[in-house]
Amino acid sequence: MIPPNSLVFVIDDDVSVRKGLSRLLRSAGYKSEIFNSAADFLARSPHPGPCCVIVDVRMPGLNGIDVQEALIQRRREEQLIFITGHGNIPMCARVMKAGAVDFLPKPFRNAELLQCIGRALMRSADQRSCAVEKGKARELLDLLTPREFEVMQLVTTGLLNKQIAGELGTKEKTVKVHRGRLMQKLRVRSVAELVHLTQKASIAPFAGHRTKV
Amino acid sequence: MKGISVSFEAANIQSAARNGNTRSAVFDPHLLIIGLWVFAGYYLGCKIGFALTFQPHPISVLWPPNSVLVAALLLTPPRSWWVVLLAALPAHLAAQLQSHVPPLMIFCWFVSNSCEALIGAGLMRYLVGGPIRFVTLRNVGLFCLCVVFIAPFLSSFLDAALVVWNHWGEDTYWELIRLRLFSNALAALIIVPLVVTWATTGIQPLRTARLSRYLEACALFVGLLLVSYAVLYKFGSGADSALLFLPLPFLLWAAVRFGSLGASTAVSIVSFLAIWSAAHGHGPFSGGPAEQDALSIQIFLIVLAIPLLFLATVIEERVTGATELGESESRFRNVADAAPILIWMAGVDKLCTFFNKPWLEFTGRSIEHELGNGWAEGVHPDDLQKCLEVYTEAFDARQPFVMQYRLRRNDGEYRWISDQGVARHDAQGGFAGYIGSCVDVTELMKKEEALHEFEQRVVLAAEAAHLGVWEMDPATKELWMSDSARTLFQFDSETPLDHAAFQDRVRPEDRALRDSAVKHALETRSGYEIEYRVLLPDGTQRWIGARARCVAGDNRKGARLIGVSIDITPRKLAEAEALRHRDELSHLSRVALMGEMSASIAHELNQPLAGIASNAGAGQRFIDRGNVDLQEIRELLADIGADARRASDVVRGIRGMIKKEQMGRQRINLNDIVTNVVHILSSDALLHWCELKTSLDTNLPMVEADPIQIQQVLINLVVNAFEAMPETPVSTREVEINTQQNADGAVRVSVRDYGVGISPETRSRLFEQFFTTKAEGLGMGLAIARSIVEAHAGTIDAENAEDGGARFHFTLPISTAA
Repeated sequence: MIPPNSLVFVIDDDVSVRKGLSRLLRSAGYKSEIFNSAADFLARSPHPGPCCVIVDVRMPGLNGIDVQEALIQRRREEQLIFITGHGNIPMCARVMKAGAVDFLPKPFRNAELLQCIGRALMRSADQRSCAVEKGKARELLDLLTPREFEVMQLVTTGLLNKQIAGELGTKEKTVKVHRGRLMQKLRVRSVAELVHLTQKASIAPFAGHRTKV
Repeated sequence: MKGISVSFEAANIQSAARNGNTRSAVFDPHLLIIGLWVFAGYYLGCKIGFALTFQPHPISVLWPPNSVLVAALLLTPPRSWWVVLLAALPAHLAAQLQSHVPPLMIFCWFVSNSCEALIGAGLMRYLVGGPIRFVTLRNVGLFCLCVVFIAPFLSSFLDAALVVWNHWGEDTYWELIRLRLFSNALAALIIVPLVVTWATTGIQPLRTARLSRYLEACALFVGLLLVSYAVLYKFGSGADSALLFLPLPFLLWAAVRFGSLGASTAVSIVSFLAIWSAAHGHGPFSGGPAEQDALSIQIFLIVLAIPLLFLATVIEERVTGATELGESESRFRNVADAAPILIWMAGVDKLCTFFNKPWLEFTGRSIEHELGNGWAEGVHPDDLQKCLEVYTEAFDARQPFVMQYRLRRNDGEYRWISDQGVARHDAQGGFAGYIGSCVDVTELMKKEEALHEFEQRVVLAAEAAHLGVWEMDPATKELWMSDSARTLFQFDSETPLDHAAFQDRVRPEDRALRDSAVKHALETRSGYEIEYRVLLPDGTQRWIGARARCVAGDNRKGARLIGVSIDITPRKLAEAEALRHRDELSHLSRVALMGEMSASIAHELNQPLAGIASNAGAGQRFIDRGNVDLQEIRELLADIGADARRASDVVRGIRGMIKKEQMGRQRINLNDIVTNVVHILSSDALLHWCELKTSLDTNLPMVEADPIQIQQVLINLVVNAFEAMPETPVSTREVEINTQQNADGAVRVSVRDYGVGISPETRSRLFEQFFTTKAEGLGMGLAIARSIVEAHAGTIDAENAEDGGARFHFTLPISTAA
């Protein structure tokens, strides 16, 4: 199942590999763009959709690992699949630790590669949707006033209103009012949903004073 | 008459000696002098003759002019005789014309006088040859016969006939003959010896004589004069005729003590006195009729003169002989003592009679010790027996001998002497003993021994080294070979050799090389050093190394070629073996290199394989999906084919590198090799994270080389470059291959890296075998690279490059083939 608007990039300096991969991808129904150097790929603007990059480790000029580093530096989210004519374990470990999807020595089995691509695209799609949701959640959270934000943070820690009031140094009533308002703004009906929302927004859990309960 | 001077004759003789046969007598001033003297002498003679004439006869007792003429003819060479006669004629005319004699008579007398002189002198010249001297009996005898008797006798007939024909005087024909004969004979006997002896002796003896001789001569002649005067003048005609013998002792004294010179002078004095006295009516010969007086004087004087002359000659002969002997003896002694060799003489009894000064100095003994058999004491005891044996044997056989023995020198050392002796004979040919000479040959013998030893050593050395020595005469094509040379070429030791027999052994392919080397050496008078193969009669083939030199000829022989040949088959085999080993090593190194490059080979193969796998998979998917575009499939399959070919090219390249057989040398462009190597090593470059760059000279000339081997060298250098840069940051990991043409025309390829460079300690050992700075290297790569480059007549070297890193480069000469 190919996510919509997917694109597979291929970066390899070897013409046989490029041609072969391009045909293979076409035969599997993927859309692809072929580059014979990393510099050309990096010069292209990012693709707005799930994508993965099949890149050869050993290339003259910028090699595969340089590409990975460049993408990380630019905080780009492309998923990388490394292929290589000659690889070793340290290289493999390095690229995997840096977040590659997989590391395939040539000649690879086609089925394996296509599976990798599928996985990569899924990951890419997931990533993208997560990113979208995160954006939405953050928008909502931005609607909160600072006081409301504070109250929200304490609510997510599971404190009672009375405790929250004590924490903040106000009355319970005020806390209740804030709580109601923020729940309304954020369009959540339970604490659980609130916590879910903050998680989506990637807000770090509040680690302020904790009253022993 | 007596005054005919010496110097005239001396000048005559001098000019005769000087002229020899080459100069013309016409313009010689000496002839003029001769002529003048003849004229003077003849004229004086005539005057004296007139003075000694007994009137009324027209014949003088003593007629000098003829004798003067004879003497002059005897003293001059025959070709000058015409001068003498020509000079005499005016004198004759001058003298006779004054005496109122008819001119015709005068002329006739001249003719007869000349005839007499010519006959006498001619006969003497013919019979004696050479200059006339009164020193041998034979000469004197002939003189008396020819000049004193025959010439006057013959010319008397003519003279008398002419006188009668002219009606001069009153005598009859026979009387005239008799008178003429005696007168001329006496004159010849008296005048000619006088003139000739004084002329030939000259006044030299007068100058050099000792005082005692002077006194003796004076005493003699004074006595003679006194006695002669007394006897021939003072005493009257009645005196005792025995008194005539009184002058005799003085005459004998003159003959014995003063030889021909003294005798002739004394006789002349006596003659003159006798005749003059008688002409003026004094002395024992006067008083009778004129004819009778004249005759008796003539007979007296002739009888006196002839024996005296003979005696004087005999005395002369003895004296000359004695002095000559004495001179000859002293000459011999001088020579013997001055010679640088030792001389000895032995008599007929084998005992030694003479040792020269050098001998006595050599042995340091006195002559008394050495004479007889004393010399044998100095001979070395071991050699004495043999020495005496040889000596006596040869002596008895009157044969010459040569022997060597040791003789004790004055310092006690025994020296080797070479003694040569020959028999000698006396004047009559009888055996007179032996004479010999000795030379110190110790040094010579030492040298000979040393030479012999040296020769032995040389021969031994040549034999030990199996050197064959030979000599060839290019003119006669004769060949001389030493024993070891004969063995080397399998010739037996007896057959005479020539160039053709030798050439037979040389392999046909090598004959041209050898011939041209020989020809060149002979033309340029130099030498050659060549190697060639020979096929020996027993079927084996051997390699021969020959070195020869042209030796310039001396007078007897022309230029020759001498040389030394040696069997170099073991060396050649070893060389071939070494070459094989080198090739094997080179091959193994190539294989090892391929091994080192296995990772990059794998990489290189994986690319097309991946392509093939992808294409094949894609094709299958297209077909499974039912979405078959035939054109697409066609392209797909073509790509698979291309990838497969690419893979097989890689395999072929590897096989080319690792196969054992050589490709052989070809004309190649090194740029192609570089391009190939870049292609081969592209994967390896990636594996090392290096970048491979080239900078090639587009006008690079071709070289003659084995492409696989040069490729091997270049790969080795580039891989080394890759491996030199692990520390270098990846962005600066460059290896640059550069080709260019050198200033001296060779082609240069250099590989430059940006690694750590070459440390000074390793610099000198870079190209050594088994030297490596890598942990798991064999160390043969650069050594083999060098051997390959040098086998191509190139050079390889390395240095540190500017801006860090090292640069390795090698050069190859340009191909000269068309």
